[in-house]
Amino acid sequence: MRIRKIFWVIIFSLSVAGTIYGAFFREFLVYDNLEKFEKLKNVGITIKIPGYESTENKFEVQSQWFTEPEVVNAMTFEGISRYKDGKLTSNYPDLRMLKGRLPCPT
Amino acid sequence: MEKLRLKVQLAFAALFNIGLFQWHNICFPVLNCHSCPTSIFACPMGILGQFAGIGLIPLTVIGLMAIAGLTIGRFLCGWACPFGFVQELLYKIPYLKFNIPSWTRFIKYGVFAGLVVAVPIYLTPESSLYFCRLCPVGTIESAIPWAIINGTTNPGHLALRLAILFSIIILAMGHRRFFCKVLCPLGACLSVFNRFALVFPERQETCSECGSCNRLCPMETTPHPKDFGVFVKKPEECISCLDCREKCPTHAVKLWG
Repeated sequence: MRIRKIFWVIIFSLSVAGTIYGAFFREFLVYDNLEKFEKLKNVGITIKIPGYESTENKFEVQSQWFTEPEVVNAMTFEGISRYKDGKLTSNYPDLRMLKGRLPCPT
Repeated sequence: MEKLRLKVQLAFAALFNIGLFQWHNICFPVLNCHSCPTSIFACPMGILGQFAGIGLIPLTVIGLMAIAGLTIGRFLCGWACPFGFVQELLYKIPYLKFNIPSWTRFIKYGVFAGLVVAVPIYLTPESSLYFCRLCPVGTIESAIPWAIINGTTNPGHLALRLAILFSIIILAMGHRRFFCKVLCPLGACLSVFNRFALVFPERQETCSECGSCNRLCPMETTPHPKDFGVFVKKPEECISCLDCREKCPTHAVKLWG
């Protein structure tokens, strides 16, 4: 019984520590999805997102730090994936579309 | 107690899908699809699968599930899960009732390991085998509403989801909480912690060992004389519905384990 209580305290402490760390301290660097821009550009769609000049020949990669709860929110609409080089990239053209966005059908 | 529980379940089902606000950065440990247009919280199974797909571990999701499991065990399955509530109602429909073999309860661990974790890692979360693509809760709360609102681009997959949903409805009409016992991956996760939960039904010395708690148990657990909760076999299945506490002739079951 005592071993069970000690085990419970250890697991519970780890759970609380993990939750607090994940909720308040853990961050992920998420990059823009440049392939989306290129595809849009190739089909002749002008991108009017501040920070991206549609006249530029090559877009500059932008990135942003996301907290874990923000990533969780983005995952509810499958907003983040991993690129070939291992970086986390947005599934949407603009990173700002990932924060506070409503769900979409799966 | 059963009427009170149904009212609480109804209240939670409404609360999770009231649509007045959205806290999708928080996972509440019940199976409630976050793709529902009016959902409040994120589904832990959906988030686990999505994180698995990009090779990350969601600490907040696992931490919250562990905290819930270590404190109240599968209490949420019995009192808060909307799909558990739906299954309780389905079982009240007069229909052919049947038993299922005991070993079938292990299938849900395979569902969790296979469809929630392995498929996103080794295939992708977009795979049609990923749990969210087959989940009956997702079909009710997300696939059907969105198909009505926007139409569907994949009628074949929608038909598969509907077939799974109707199969589970038929099975839940014949066997109480069929999905919870056999298929629910969240139930599998919480049941791991259930043995260590703080709040757990426990038998007292006044027990006359009549076995009524065993016969009434919706999760088909087996009574235990002392110590480890009420049940010696399948204690991980106990959803703290407290039917045993209500029906016990000697009032020997108390909730705080």
